[in-house]
Amino acid sequence: MQKTVTTTWIILIILTISSALIFKLDGSYVTTVILILSALKFLGISFQFMDMNKAHIAWKTIIISFITVFVMGLLLIVA
Amino acid sequence: MQTQQINHKNFYFPPGGILIWIIIFLELLTFGIALIAMFYYGNQDLEGFNSSRLKLNTTYGMLNTLFLLTSGYFMAVSVTALKKGDKRNFNKLLFYTVLFGILFLCLKSLEYYEKLSEGIGIAYNTFFTFYWMLTLFHVIHVVVGLVILISVYFGIRKETSNTTIEDVEASAAFWHMCDLIWIMLFPVIYLIF
Repeated sequence: MQKTVTTTWIILIILTISSALIFKLDGSYVTTVILILSALKFLGISFQFMDMNKAHIAWKTIIISFITVFVMGLLLIVA
Repeated sequence: MQTQQINHKNFYFPPGGILIWIIIFLELLTFGIALIAMFYYGNQDLEGFNSSRLKLNTTYGMLNTLFLLTSGYFMAVSVTALKKGDKRNFNKLLFYTVLFGILFLCLKSLEYYEKLSEGIGIAYNTFFTFYWMLTLFHVIHVVVGLVILISVYFGIRKETSNTTIEDVEASAAFWHMCDLIWIMLFPVIYLIF
């Protein structure tokens, strides 16, 4: 359990630093990549840190739906 | 201290309890709608939002993300320690959770001080209205979270503590909610455009 949480924390740190580095690049894909990385971090926190991987499937579906709608909403505005 | 394990597969008993999750979703929805509104206004005034964003320090934003993620990590492992009945380790890990939360607030205060010194307040322009509203609202949540964690820290040390594992899980869920909100704020305010 603790090993999984530690691995998740390391991945979250790497994703955060990657986002800050990608932000300095030029290109239309930058926004999409940063938002996808943020969505992955969001899911990492909710499923590993908040133990939602142990919750009822309805809760998992709500979390995944929420972050998907949020990211899609932002991407639709950019498009 | 009750450490009875709960079956979280039951819809009515998610980790932390159903009430805290209703609060979490309402908070996420509120911040989500505000961020989409900010993004929409930013798309209408790309130049204004871009020049405003350049006034922000991305390194501060990234460091604050790292502080909150590390704090969240200590919170998660502290709950695991408590479930194993290791109260001493739980208290130590909870102390680190609070410490990184305080580091977040210190860096945020420095950032606010710099902005106010430059004369950038809430009425500076649309971008900074969103910036101040959203980040201050988030800071209030962090302060409330820290108060809850400090009360858990001192409460659980008592010999006759009546704090249950559910109480600790609910406090942890509230603290992780601050991480989730920041994960949504960081890219939209500091990185994108």
